Amino acid sequence: MSKWTGVLKLDMENRGGRSVAKNVYFQGAFKVMRPVYLNNYNHPCYYLLNPGGGYLDGDKYHMEVSLDEKAELTLTTQSSTKVYKTPTKEVYQETIFNMKKDSYLEYLPDALIAYKDAKYYQKNIVYMEEGATLLYSDILTPGWSPEGEQFSYDMLRLKTEIYMNEQLVAFDHIKLQPESQQMTELGFMEGYTHLGSFIVIGEKTNDKLLDQLYETIQKQSGDFAFGISKLAISGFTIRIMANYTQVIERIITACHHVISEEWYQKKPSFLRKY
Amino acid sequence: MTNHALSLFQLCDSTFPNGSFSQSFGLETYIQRDIVTDAESFSDWLKVYIHEQLAYADGLAARIAYDALEEEDYDTLWELDRKLTVQNLARESRAGTQRMGESMLEISEAIYELPLLATYKEKIREKEAFGHPAIVFTIVGYALQAEKDTTILYYLYSTVTSLVQNAVRAIPLGQTTGQKIIYTFQKELRQATDKIMQLDRDEFGVVSPGLELSQMQHERVGIRIFSS
Repeated sequence: MSKWTGVLKLDMENRGGRSVAKNVYFQGAFKVMRPVYLNNYNHPCYYLLNPGGGYLDGDKYHMEVSLDEKAELTLTTQSSTKVYKTPTKEVYQETIFNMKKDSYLEYLPDALIAYKDAKYYQKNIVYMEEGATLLYSDILTPGWSPEGEQFSYDMLRLKTEIYMNEQLVAFDHIKLQPESQQMTELGFMEGYTHLGSFIVIGEKTNDKLLDQLYETIQKQSGDFAFGISKLAISGFTIRIMANYTQVIERIITACHHVISEEWYQKKPSFLRKY
Repeated sequence: MTNHALSLFQLCDSTFPNGSFSQSFGLETYIQRDIVTDAESFSDWLKVYIHEQLAYADGLAARIAYDALEEEDYDTLWELDRKLTVQNLARESRAGTQRMGESMLEISEAIYELPLLATYKEKIREKEAFGHPAIVFTIVGYALQAEKDTTILYYLYSTVTSLVQNAVRAIPLGQTTGQKIIYTFQKELRQATDKIMQLDRDEFGVVSPGLELSQMQHERVGIRIFSS
């Protein structure tokens, strides 16, 4: 038996101007559906599925997505990822993205919901070559708890490493442990419950785009706090704290639109499934 | 305490011109929003900053760097320099730290004439390194034969004294209040050092969301007396 609860491998290539999968492999509690060609895209969108319905104690997931030169891909999930209580061992998920020259990847999954006593560790490693463009988001949502606590999960840990031509260019490490941290206080979640991140790497990043994104986010309704800042290479991070998944989703979608229009004069398709 | 204690004191002295007087690392955002308004709220911020950001980044890096120096494993030093720089997702804090690292390196190299510092400078000139105060400080501490935990403790202390000076000017607080905070923080610094000595290497770069947000937001706060 494999040491993984679920394994997924997806390799994309550019065949005469069209992005197609040259290899799709999945095993265990991880699956992709047949690709969808959304209205405004000429590349495929794959939806990830977790047939088990959620992540359980000690589950381990491995995903590897590779894009050849000029290959393009949109990857999302069919629904939120739910992490249930992990009494003995944390849930671990690792994802490796290999992006060759001038490839394009949007990885915009639904929220991760961490329920009572859940421990989750996620590691993303992205290897990029020059000209490659990455749009990556994640949303951390605390799950409903019978006692009504705001933060009933044990630990949420997300580590992201991004390499350009084998050199580390961005490193992000979030570790939320409500029991040992003053979650609602200054420096932590400061009164908010949900955390969203949007990391974009792209050679076309400039100050004008950042200003535009800043204004776009400021115009959004709802109660939230955010920050946007340039990375050490051509790219930026947006971090959002809010009290509803939808507020963060709306902000990420709005930013996605601005980027697509500025960089490709295109409107992205509606990814969510409800 | 080593025979070189005075030399290490010099590096911790708030008059050491490393440029820390112009960095607030997000503190100014909280001051502008009237969240940090007095000694108490400033101490709250300082505690979180030390335990939830500095310990996982600069502190843990200093410990790993010290071990690398003992093993003459210099590649790890340059790797840490890069990691420390790129994990700082807020542009101003990253750039400010880098400038501090460079100033500290410049002066330290002139004072101590350590070949490793000359190499570090060379690497920065060749754009193979960025420059980070925690790495420079550790190289000097090691060369002066300070113990590992002492080096870490002094590094944290130097950060605290400069942040307190900045808070005294910006909030403002009285000079005596500032000195009292530095004195009170001895306990916090020991705790942080103990924690750093125990941390798993895998915990490098953990940052708490609110702090980071305030550092990003600083780019667009109205009145700015600090550059981060």
